[in-house]
Amino acid sequence: MVENGFNKRIFVAWLILVAISLVYLWIDHSATHQGIPTASTVVTVVAICFALIKVRIIMREFMEVRGAPRFLRRLTDYWVVLMAIALFGVYFVGIAVA
Amino acid sequence: MTTTERAVSPVPEQSPSEHVPGGRDIWFFVLFESLAFTAYFCVYLFNRTQHEQVFLLGQSHLLLWLGVLETIVLLTSSWAVASCVQHARAGRYDASKREALLTAGFGALFLVLKVIEWVRLIHAGHTFTSSEFFQYFFFLTVIHCIHLLIGFVVLGVLWYQLSDQKRRSQPTVEICATYWHSVDFFWVLIFALLYVVR
Repeated sequence: MVENGFNKRIFVAWLILVAISLVYLWIDHSATHQGIPTASTVVTVVAICFALIKVRIIMREFMEVRGAPRFLRRLTDYWVVLMAIALFGVYFVGIAVA
Repeated sequence: MTTTERAVSPVPEQSPSEHVPGGRDIWFFVLFESLAFTAYFCVYLFNRTQHEQVFLLGQSHLLLWLGVLETIVLLTSSWAVASCVQHARAGRYDASKREALLTAGFGALFLVLKVIEWVRLIHAGHTFTSSEFFQYFFFLTVIHCIHLLIGFVVLGVLWYQLSDQKRRSQPTVEICATYWHSVDFFWVLIFALLYVVR
């Protein structure tokens, strides 16, 4: 994996993270009409999902959780799921209340 | 510094599956901090659903491309500090120090971009008290930047550790990197919620 100190795996992880960040430009374009942002549950859900996927990639690849003990691999995955439940739960409860 | 220098605290003699990067304490801190940020995000999202038009109007004043650029800059700093850890583990301390400097450089660039963004918004009349959206915007971005500033102190510790073979400790290098990565992924979430969520 490491040749002359260059690690291809974390480079690929960085490329994927940058690519997902650039996809946000297209997502935003799809929910903007004549320069005015419009409300969209689909965009909200996709934006949060992409962010959580990025968080997991950062944890697994950059923070080296991939090679960590099973408890940390599971704990960090549960944590991402916990954040997803909290964010989506509050968002959909908020929509229902509004 | 020469590449023949050896670490005082060598790589832990344990298989990868037994090694917690940075040790358990920093992970307790990172997961606790992520809970605190998740709580802020939940309050923001709930209020957003209650005053949708106010938030959409506020959001229309942000430059998405600038947010994307800031994200890429911080992701690159995270990549650099991940490389720093791997070089240090392999005993390539000169390369490790170079990556630590790159991390600080990209972190500083992020801070400069953030300040430019704040100045632009404030000049356009968007301040902490101008709307509910900007209250959350300034709160979340400033609290993140405070974490970033602490990150520079952490990188200073990293540099201090790497600069002298008597002080080198791989666990400390990993603790510093884990903190910096957490600053990165907090921003990834803040960016999605402030700039993209509709």
